Amino acid sequence: MTSTAPRQSSAARVSRRTEVLEARPVNLDGFVEEWPEKGLVAMESDFDPTPSVRVEDGRIVELDGKERADFDFMDTFIANHAIDVASAERCTAIPSVEIARLLIDPRATRDDVLAVTRGLTPAKVLDVVKLMNVVEIMQGMQKMRARRTPANQAHSTSARDNPIQVAADAAEGALRGFAELETTLGVVRYAPLVAIALQVGGQVGRGGVLTQCALEEATELELGMRGITAYAETISVYGTESVFIDGDDTPWSKAFLASAYASRGIKMRFTSGTGSEVQMGNAEGKSMLYLEIRCILMAKGAGVQGLQNGSISCIGVPGAVPGGLRAVAAENLVASMVDLECASGNDQSFSHSSMRRTARAIPQLFPGTDFVCSGYSAVPNPDNMFAGSNFDTEDYDDWNTIQRDFQVDGGLRHVREAEILQARNKAARVLQALFRHLDLPAITDDEVEAATYAHSSNDYPLRDVLADLKGAQAVMDRGITGLDLVRGLEAAGFHDVAENLLMVLRQRVSGDLLQTSAILTPDFVPLSAINDPNDYAGPGTGYRLEGERWEELKKLRHVTSATNPETEVG
Amino acid sequence: MTTPTAAPPQRTVTLREVGPARRGTRPDEVVVAVSPAFAGHFSKTIVDVPHAEVLRQLLAGIEEQGVTARVVRIRDTADLAALAHVAARLSGSGISVGVLSRGTTIIHQRDLPRLSNLELFPQSPLLDAPVFRMIGSNAAQYAKGESPQPVPTRNDQMARPRWQAKAALLHLKEFECIEAGQGPLEVEPVFGSSAAG
Amino acid sequence: MTALTRDDYPLSINRPDLLHTPTGKPITALTMDAVVSGELSAEDLRISSETLLLQAEIADASGRPQLAGNFRRAAEMTAIPDAEVLAMYNALRPRASTGEALAELADRLETTYSAPVCAALVREAAEVYGRRDLLARPTGDDD
Repeated sequence: MTSTAPRQSSAARVSRRTEVLEARPVNLDGFVEEWPEKGLVAMESDFDPTPSVRVEDGRIVELDGKERADFDFMDTFIANHAIDVASAERCTAIPSVEIARLLIDPRATRDDVLAVTRGLTPAKVLDVVKLMNVVEIMQGMQKMRARRTPANQAHSTSARDNPIQVAADAAEGALRGFAELETTLGVVRYAPLVAIALQVGGQVGRGGVLTQCALEEATELELGMRGITAYAETISVYGTESVFIDGDDTPWSKAFLASAYASRGIKMRFTSGTGSEVQMGNAEGKSMLYLEIRCILMAKGAGVQGLQNGSISCIGVPGAVPGGLRAVAAENLVASMVDLECASGNDQSFSHSSMRRTARAIPQLFPGTDFVCSGYSAVPNPDNMFAGSNFDTEDYDDWNTIQRDFQVDGGLRHVREAEILQARNKAARVLQALFRHLDLPAITDDEVEAATYAHSSNDYPLRDVLADLKGAQAVMDRGITGLDLVRGLEAAGFHDVAENLLMVLRQRVSGDLLQTSAILTPDFVPLSAINDPNDYAGPGTGYRLEGERWEELKKLRHVTSATNPETEVG
Repeated sequence: MTTPTAAPPQRTVTLREVGPARRGTRPDEVVVAVSPAFAGHFSKTIVDVPHAEVLRQLLAGIEEQGVTARVVRIRDTADLAALAHVAARLSGSGISVGVLSRGTTIIHQRDLPRLSNLELFPQSPLLDAPVFRMIGSNAAQYAKGESPQPVPTRNDQMARPRWQAKAALLHLKEFECIEAGQGPLEVEPVFGSSAAG
Repeated sequence: MTALTRDDYPLSINRPDLLHTPTGKPITALTMDAVVSGELSAEDLRISSETLLLQAEIADASGRPQLAGNFRRAAEMTAIPDAEVLAMYNALRPRASTGEALAELADRLETTYSAPVCAALVREAAEVYGRRDLLARPTGDDD
């Protein structure tokens, strides 16, 4: 075994250059050798199965070299629910290189590709994407992303679970362009107050933003049922039977849960990612990408509209092996090429090196995905209760500049200071009034002032945590719902915010947000793969950053005026 | 990035086999359960804290509370909650500390569900000698029926990029050392010192 | 009525005439005035089984049979109280239920809630759990 930790060299003299290189942040990252026998390998393993499928009497009886009697529950679920039986034999017989070409051929439409991928086995899907280099994977993503218009998602959390901070940062995040906002807690009992803050703050920033609170399944569902949150995403699935069971679920329990969410009109996506199985020690000797493809097809079979993937919380594992980030880009592509919404990772602290952090996001940012980040930290990373994201508030200007440099839409925009201060201040005042109306713990004017100008949780007065927790419990005990929030906002005189929230709640009656890749525009128009389908067909087609949106993204914090170079525009 | 500083002078430990571990009768004992590869196939945690130091600190923390300690090696599982739960049921007080080779540690109690715990320290890269001592001390206080303040947990968002893959690798290696069907073994730590780990 | 197509989407904008709450109110009745006057309850902000079946038609028309199937199960589940939905989910977790318990659950879904699609999912689970040793032992085994 190789030794790792001591980066400082021992006795032997090294060059000054080596000293400089040793001090580079990238050398704080961890890298390991592959160990394919144990599944510590990204996507090229001799131990992955060979594609095969056989259908008898309308049933798949052989899958990737296994007879039905030998299927584990992943094989069974995928064979029963994910693969189109009618076309399975024909599609799986198509040479992989033909399918890979189809993915990047602009003359083949997205629907043309779906007609083939719906009949592929997990090993066949792997065989196809293994032929593709990272540029081809990006080309494929550009065409296969379900929604034509890309978007982005933020984390809005607080190291102190401070609801005022969450409301203000949610408002700023919404204003900057995030279509979805996600929160979670340090102290779980704070959840009701923080979820309310997120919901209300988000609607201040921009009407129609969708929010969620990541908790264990039962509580997450309950907040959703009450209309305090709008969607859910932390419904994890795994690629081996043993790890799935360790997570205390099966494909059937998760499929049932998916329907439970839909039955309450709540948008939902599953979560999976390369590396989770090997991280838990039960990869069954299969490559990370093969196991992730099984997760993706399981999600497809469950009838869930989408998936958060891209390694997510296990990113340190694929990030440490050769070709790991190619595999991560490929797993996003696979989700899209089997017609699932893809919230594509870039949501966990990934590297000490800013160069690596940026490079990691290119395969999602440049072609565009349904949500480029499934959690860009809209708070400073020390406040990020998802253990830190690949990007945070300090990266806003860099992100906006990269969008402008390459003319790509990563879902964000530069917003002027005055607008941001106004939104933050208003979010805090709205929450103050709402808490007062609902007889929840008071929010002082000092806290409102702090929220307006704050950066992190350290910039806020400390809350009375015990009083807050009692208030949080009261929200649950009194059965406060989204409707009570609307009523409270209206009574407090914030008619516009009340109206925005009511419009979001109305959506669950229509079910429009349950369709694939649905988000809400600021005009409350559901935008999904149905009314905004990706129509990429080569150069000059598909989503193009142009017109009003491009003018918006040309703006940065400092741009010298061409009319009067002694001044800046903006 | 907060990497714990190097451990004090290299200590070594050998776990001398005493015999099959039995259920304890003393109400004032804590059982420390170590994983299959602890102080055997491996000699130090993910951040190079010698296993000798881990054990010494845990035991010192327990003993400074006037509580006795027994050490057992669990051989048939490397699942932290499982091995600690086995140890808790061997413990006269019902309290155990479980520790994996890479350093991940848990305080468990007999009457809790297996997947639950009294305190869990999942971020092995952040566990250093003083933390292990506090863990031992807290376990002993639980054994006395007290309710100690939980050991403050640290968080380092950059631990993932540096340590996650190595942790997975160590986990896989530890799994290879599992001896199916072999029951818990009572062991006696024999401390020594050597030039290097 | 002819089946819905992609062009009907979004229903909230193109076909509000088809949308009703489980309490029978048209979606257009969900106004701020109605909120303030107290006419609306939380029950009025739930999706109806009819609406889920409409969305299933759209999913089918968009080439998404699995999604449509999920919406059909969901349509059945609208009749089941929140707490029981959660209990049923928990019953489907690994080794949480005996084969008999799952069979009873499937029967209950079918008879009490007229939920044959959900029942079929539970029966399929029971079959697989039996084969993969994922049923609870009838005796109730500690650890």
